[in-house]
Amino acid sequence: MAVVAAGRVLLLGGRWSAATASGGPSAQTLRLIYTTTAAWRKNIAASGPEKYTEAFIKKQIEEFDLGKRHLANMMGEDPETFTQEDIDRAIAYLFPSGLFDKRARPMMKHPTEIFPEQRKIQWGEDGRPFHFLFYTGKQSYYSLMHETYEKLLNVQKHQDQLAAQGISPQKEKKNLVGSRWVTKTELEGMLLEKLSDDDYSRFIRLLEKLMTLPCSDIEENYIKKFSKEIAVQLQKVSVEPLKYDEQGVAFSTGEGVRKTSRATAVVYGSGTGKITVNGIDVLHYFPVLQDREQLLFPFQFLDRIGKHDTTCTVSGGGRSSQAGAIRLATAKALRSFVTEKEVEFMRQAGLLTVDPRVRERKKPGQEGARRKFTWKKR
Amino acid sequence: MLRSVKGFICRPLKLDRGFALHTAAKDCFSSVVSQDVQIPAEKPRAIFYTSESDPARHSEQHEGHHYSIPLEEVKAVLPHGLPHRFQQQIKTFKEACIMVRKPALELFTYLKNSNFAHPVVRYVIYGERGTGKTMTLCHVVHFCARQGWLVLHIPDAHLWVKNCKELMQSSYNKERLDQPLQASFWLRNFRTTNESFLKEIKTQQKYVWSKRDSTEQGRPLGEVVEQGLTRVKNASDVVGVVLKEIKQQCCLGSFRVLVAVDGVNALWGRTTLKKEDKSPVSPEELTLVYNLRKMMMNNWNGGAVVTTLSQTGSLFKPSSAHLPHELLGKEGFDALDPFVPILVPNYTEREFESCYRYYLHCRWLQHDKARTEDGKEELRFLSGRNPWQLERLAAPL
Repeated sequence: MAVVAAGRVLLLGGRWSAATASGGPSAQTLRLIYTTTAAWRKNIAASGPEKYTEAFIKKQIEEFDLGKRHLANMMGEDPETFTQEDIDRAIAYLFPSGLFDKRARPMMKHPTEIFPEQRKIQWGEDGRPFHFLFYTGKQSYYSLMHETYEKLLNVQKHQDQLAAQGISPQKEKKNLVGSRWVTKTELEGMLLEKLSDDDYSRFIRLLEKLMTLPCSDIEENYIKKFSKEIAVQLQKVSVEPLKYDEQGVAFSTGEGVRKTSRATAVVYGSGTGKITVNGIDVLHYFPVLQDREQLLFPFQFLDRIGKHDTTCTVSGGGRSSQAGAIRLATAKALRSFVTEKEVEFMRQAGLLTVDPRVRERKKPGQEGARRKFTWKKR
Repeated sequence: MLRSVKGFICRPLKLDRGFALHTAAKDCFSSVVSQDVQIPAEKPRAIFYTSESDPARHSEQHEGHHYSIPLEEVKAVLPHGLPHRFQQQIKTFKEACIMVRKPALELFTYLKNSNFAHPVVRYVIYGERGTGKTMTLCHVVHFCARQGWLVLHIPDAHLWVKNCKELMQSSYNKERLDQPLQASFWLRNFRTTNESFLKEIKTQQKYVWSKRDSTEQGRPLGEVVEQGLTRVKNASDVVGVVLKEIKQQCCLGSFRVLVAVDGVNALWGRTTLKKEDKSPVSPEELTLVYNLRKMMMNNWNGGAVVTTLSQTGSLFKPSSAHLPHELLGKEGFDALDPFVPILVPNYTEREFESCYRYYLHCRWLQHDKARTEDGKEELRFLSGRNPWQLERLAAPL
C-alpha cells in the first residue's frame, strides 16, 4: 500500500495513524498502529540460501580464468597448460596452512565447484512456466521418470522387432558388482530439487527394470549416467618378504610413529623373546609395566611371545609415545612372518594403524586447548 | 599381600611325613578344597619342591626347587633379615619357602671348604635390582645357623645412615655420634637369634658404662646385651663391645662367626644425617658404622663375611648402578678388597618355571588366564624373569 509505505519512512517505530491520503482506489485506509524495527529487519533464515544471478556467476568465471593466468605467470608456467592440480599445488605453496580440515584451507577452484548450482527462474516474464510439468511441483523428477519410461518402451519395441525377425536377443551378464546406483542425495544434486524416499526408490526400480531387459544395451549410455563405480578397495599395502642376514636368520624391519616419536624395529625369526631398545634391555628402558604391555601386545596377539628377538631404536617423544611407536614398528615388521589372514586380523585389531592423535593447540582466550578461563559472574 | 582374604586356601605341609595334610579352608569365596585335589597336586609340587629342609644338604639337584623353613625357625633365625614383601608372603601363605639357587649353592661350597685358620674371606653378593640378593643372604644365614655358627646379621646397613631421629654425642668418644634407637633394635634381634651363644661367651675385660653401671670381666655376654637394652643411651657402645668381644674370641676357634651385612655399600657412602649445626655427618662419625667397619676388615679368622650390595636403599647413587665398584666407591672398594664377588642373575627358565608353579600351587594366581600357557608366556615377558617384577605382577592376579 503506497500510503503505508510512505508512512513507514516518516517515523521509526511508535504509533501513528495513517495520514489520510488522497485515498487510493480502495475505500479502506489501512492504519498501521504500531510497528517495530524487528518487523522490517530482514529475516535471513527464512529467505533460503543465497541466490546468485547468472551474471554474477559469469563474472566469477571470468575472474577465475584471469586469476589462473596470473597465477601461471607467477609460478613461471605456461598459462595455456595450467591445470587444476597445478593451481592446487601453487596455492598450497603460496599460502601454506597447518589447519587440519582441508576445507578450511585456502583454495582456488572453478566457480561452478564453489557456488552450488541453483535453479534458474522457471517462468518467463509473463509468469508462464517453461516446463510443462511445472505445476506437478517436482518437474525434474517427473520429467526424468517420463524419459526413463520412454527408454523402456524403446527397448521393448526393439525387442519385439527382433522377436518378429526371429532373432532371440543374447544378453551378457553385466557385471553389477563394481557399480552402484546414484544415491538419493546425488540424484537430488543432479535434479536440483528435493525428492522423497519413495520417489527415489520408484526411480531406482524403474532403472533396474530397464536394466534387466535383454536389449537394454542400446540404452546403456543413459543408464551409465545413473550408475557409479564403487571405488577400488583401499590400496593394498604389499607385505615385504623376509630378509636373511649373514647367519641365515630371517629378519624383518618395520617403522612406527606416535606423536613425536620415531621408532624402527628389527624382528628376528628365531629367538627367546628378548627385546633391546637403543642397546638397553627392555626392563631397564621401560620400567613401567604399561609400556611393556604395549610392546607385548603384537606378539601376544599372534601367539608368538617367546619366538622372536627384537632390536629397536627409538627417538623423540615421551615414554608412552615411544612405547606406542615401537609397538607399531614391531607389528609392521611381524607382517612378513605371518599369513595374510593374520595380517588382516592385525589390521582390524588396530595394530597397524598410525595413531593420529596429536597434541591440540592452545587457543587464545582460553587457558588450554579446551579449558576456558574461570568464569566470573561479575 | 592382603589379598589373602580373597578366596585363598592355606595348606602347610608336614615335611617329614612326605605327604600333604590339609587344614580347614580359610575362606569360602572360591574355595575348591577337596580331598582328591590334594593327592594329584602332590605330583606337580614335587617338580619344584624339595622336602630337604637343611640347607647344608642342598646341592645342584635341588637347584630351582623351593624348600620350606618351619615358622618357629624363621622367627628364631631370621627375625629381621627377610625383605618386607617376603614377610607379608609368609603371613599369607603360612609357610616360608625359599628357592635354592646357584649363587647360594656356590656360597655353601665356599663356606664348607673354607679354612678357618686363614683370615676371613669376604663375599660380596651383587646384581641388578630385584634379582634375589637379600634372599640369597638369608639362605646363607639359615645355613650357618643350622650349622651352629654365631650369626651377626645386619638386615640393612642403610637404616643406620638415614632417617635417624635421635643422634647423640657418644659418651665414649667425643667426636662420634650415637644412634640409640637403631642400636637397641638390633640388639633385641641379635639376642633372639643367638640365645645360646650369649651364655657361653664371656667378657674379657671390664667395661664401665657410667658411674653406677659396669660389667665385670668374665660375665656372660648376655648381661652386656641386657645392659644395652635397659640403658638405651649406651646401646651403641654395647654394640661396639659385642662386636669386639666376638672378634677377639672367635680367633680362638671355639665357635664360628658369620657376619652377614645387607647393603654394605652404606658403610662407605654418604649419610643424610646432619649435626645440630647442619653440617653433614660422614659415616665414620657414627659409632655403629665405625664398629661395623672394623668387623669387615680381614684381620681376624674363624668365620666368614658375606655382604650384599644394594642400590635400592642407597643414598646418592643412580639407579643404574649395580656393580661393586660403582656402589662401594673407591673407599669401600679398597676397604673390602680382596673379596669374592658373587653375581645373582635373574631367574633362569627353570627357576622361572619353578616360581610360577609355586604360585600356582599356592593358589596365588587366581586369574583364569594365568593358568594357561599364554598367561605364563605373558608373565615371563612382562617380568623379564626378574623375581621382584614377577612377584609384583603376580600379586594382583
